[in-house]
Amino acid sequence: MTQSTTSRRRVLKAAGATLGAAAFARAVSPVIDFASEISAGEFFQKHYKELSPEEMAVVLRRLEDETQERYGAEVTIRDIRPRENTQFGYALNLSICIGCRRCAEACHVENNHDRATHQSYIRVLELRQGSIDMEHGDATYEHAVPRAGHFYMPVQCQQCDNPPCVHVCPVEATWKEDDGIVVVDYNWCIGCRYCEAACPYHARRFNWHAPEIPAEEINPDQAYLSNRVRPQGVMEKCTFCLHRTREGRMPACLEACPTGARVFGNLLDPSSEIRWVLANKRVFVLKEELGTRPRFFYFFDE
Amino acid sequence: MESEEGSALGASMPPASGGHEVTYPRFLWRILSRATDGPPLFYAWMTALTAVALVGAHAWATQTNEGLGLTGMGDHVSWGLYIANFTFAVGLAAGGVMMVVPAYLYHDEEMHDVVIIGELLAVAALVMALAFVVVDLGRPDRFWHLMPLIGRFNWPISMLTWDVLVLNGYLVLNLHICGYLLYMRYLRRKPNPRWYVPFVLVSIVWAVSVHTVTAFLYSGLGGRPFWNSALLAPRFLVSAFVTGPAFIILTLRVLRQATGLALPGGPVRTLVNVMRITVLVNLFMVLSEVFTEFYTGGSHVAAARYLYFGVDGHAALVPWIWTAIALNVGGAIILLTPALSKRPHVLEAAMVMVFVGVWIEKGMGLIIPGFVPSTLHELVEYIPTRTEWMVTAGVWALGLLVFTVALKAAAPILRDAARAAQIRREHEES
Amino acid sequence: MPPSEPVATSAAVPLRQPLHLISCASVLLVLSACGEDHGASFRDELGLAADEDGLRAPPSRIHAPPELESLATGQLGPDGEPLRAACVTCHSIPGLAPELELRAEDVGPPHEGIDFQHGPNGCAHCHDPEDRLSLRLADGRSIPMTDAIELCAQCHGPQYRDFRRGSHGGMRGSWDAERGVRERNHCVDCHDAHRPAYPHFTPMPPPADRFAPAGHE
Repeated sequence: MTQSTTSRRRVLKAAGATLGAAAFARAVSPVIDFASEISAGEFFQKHYKELSPEEMAVVLRRLEDETQERYGAEVTIRDIRPRENTQFGYALNLSICIGCRRCAEACHVENNHDRATHQSYIRVLELRQGSIDMEHGDATYEHAVPRAGHFYMPVQCQQCDNPPCVHVCPVEATWKEDDGIVVVDYNWCIGCRYCEAACPYHARRFNWHAPEIPAEEINPDQAYLSNRVRPQGVMEKCTFCLHRTREGRMPACLEACPTGARVFGNLLDPSSEIRWVLANKRVFVLKEELGTRPRFFYFFDE
Repeated sequence: MESEEGSALGASMPPASGGHEVTYPRFLWRILSRATDGPPLFYAWMTALTAVALVGAHAWATQTNEGLGLTGMGDHVSWGLYIANFTFAVGLAAGGVMMVVPAYLYHDEEMHDVVIIGELLAVAALVMALAFVVVDLGRPDRFWHLMPLIGRFNWPISMLTWDVLVLNGYLVLNLHICGYLLYMRYLRRKPNPRWYVPFVLVSIVWAVSVHTVTAFLYSGLGGRPFWNSALLAPRFLVSAFVTGPAFIILTLRVLRQATGLALPGGPVRTLVNVMRITVLVNLFMVLSEVFTEFYTGGSHVAAARYLYFGVDGHAALVPWIWTAIALNVGGAIILLTPALSKRPHVLEAAMVMVFVGVWIEKGMGLIIPGFVPSTLHELVEYIPTRTEWMVTAGVWALGLLVFTVALKAAAPILRDAARAAQIRREHEES
Repeated sequence: MPPSEPVATSAAVPLRQPLHLISCASVLLVLSACGEDHGASFRDELGLAADEDGLRAPPSRIHAPPELESLATGQLGPDGEPLRAACVTCHSIPGLAPELELRAEDVGPPHEGIDFQHGPNGCAHCHDPEDRLSLRLADGRSIPMTDAIELCAQCHGPQYRDFRRGSHGGMRGSWDAERGVRERNHCVDCHDAHRPAYPHFTPMPPPADRFAPAGHE
């Protein structure tokens, strides 16, 4: 083999390598665009449980600025901690729910959900009277409600005491707080969706795109762990409106219910309405056999 | 002394005396540069793979930037083509162990000469598996959150953390074994058994754990009755022991065609014998699952009914699963009929048949029905989008690139194997 | 619209402790909305039926529906809001509508066209024949129209109990009695007294899920 053959080959290889590298850079340029929008603060941000109060304050300001920049809305994001001696419980009266979906709509508005997909944490199933077999349920009805011979079962995160979603998360981005609410750190989640596979109640939602909300429709009263505008590629779920309930207010879905089918309160307070319901109504939970121990109870009046 | 051109495997080798001067990093660089040498067909192969990999890389980059909404997944079917291929690729990696066991535990000499192919397949398949996980992540930029000690690692509760450990561990194990053997061969030194045999024995157990852990990802979820079966891990292992040997047999055939090397025929016969059992056991396990589902009935069977027969007009997966069954059964028949399996081209066809059959049944035929119907019993179908196909093709191209480069690096060892086979043949004739 | 006066919360009253009962009853008397001396016994009987163990209805403001105090005229007032005529405007005139009709169809203007579907009841079952501004309980006592909940409760006990215990009827405000009050719907806010069956609603739009179409790129 001659010297010139070798050097020609080397030149060709070098040209090929350069071309390949250029093609590769061009091919992955969208990732560079994506990465360039991530600030160093966001990239290196620690897990929620590791942030000191000062660090959290910095994070909250940064998130408020980002929301202002991306959505054009002035918002306040707070870190609201659980109260002592509080364990939340939620009950739903299947005898008087009429399936109007105002709860789902209120959730959509309160929690700054994506408008295009009309996202909500609540899904209302129309079921035939006589059976709670969800196999014959329908969540997409559009006729006037309540329909004769049917009843309605809204389903949202059950805030389980034995939550499969928490067990499976590889990075501990989701956990159960001291007052019973299962939360997600949207800035820690890597978007593997294992929790969505594990949840037996279809309670988890994923941000398949960055949410789109007009600035004037954004609810500016936000919390870090609940209704702040979530980024693309992360999981989210119902948080029992912790930005409201931890301050003593009712969740948005409950306030929107015209019939009063929803009952919410502190399970540790013996005089609470939720305790009365649990003691005096025929209460059941969904998929009890799975051992998830939900905090969301269903009951009938008769 | 081989010339650079002509032999697909060849590049010049260092003189025996100067070998010990080449450090390990330098050796790795030599392998990579060796991978850019070959006949025109080799260049065509590598260029085609690179092109597909680039298309996949671009599709993935766009998906990362614009969101996983570019895929066909949704909140009902939240895992799809990527995780299906991930599951399959892990199986392929575990299947390499089917060469290791005869080579090291049963002292099959001919197998021992070519066992490195199985170990290199494990490396390439693991690269693919890890790539499939990465392309499925919503936030790959947050990858560091998954690292033990640096991020937050939910071990031992989350099965995904076990998977991270065993997959990376298996990769490191095989990289060490192959790297050490190839390095020693490059330096023309006899490898010291102490530096690889214990690792090889560990890799046998580790291969089983790799696929068991991956199966446990799915089988531990009470909310997904289609997966929540004790048989899932054994099924995974058995089907891995179908696809691994099938791919290796095809590789040996391709190597023989492409390089003209007369590799020993024993390994193929051994692997065919292994497959005769595993392909039957695989079919039996499918039968066992199907019986349990359909005989029991009730809502537990909903996913299986959707998969095999469709429900309420939703039948997207039905042609897939029946094709898979036909392929697996056809491949089994060929394997079990000596008159057929003796013929090389028929055997190769059988290998392709079972490979594709298991890919369908274990990939799309396992992951998707786990989500249909949903946990609220809603029927939402899943059809992969162009983005998903491009990314998937790109990852497969990446895997094949890695495998090709690795085989190129293993060229000296394979040439030794061919020579040893020739000597054995001459011995028998004399 | 102005909230009605707070519902007196019936404190925990173990009936075995007469002193507690008497002081509670006095408090209720003082706070009771109507002028007549039936408030304490009414609330004790119905409110404590299921909850002797320290349960009390949390502080609530019950919404006062305008229908109990006024009639829609169909016209707009000077402020652009719908104009309503207070019941007392006409019904303070002595001798106006001397006889209570037997059936809703017989009612003349301005109350004609009442759509009545409330079981086998007639007008006199609820309305005080002597006083159009009052309702009549089953034991003969008259109560102001604005106390209509008492009337509903005497027949619909289980619903009233559930209403007090928070599992019937809409509410807004605070779940935590220590941190705020809540606003409750009045029965009449949802149940038209003459046709109380809950109306049909048009539901909000269904979820727009990411169903897999044939490619969406």
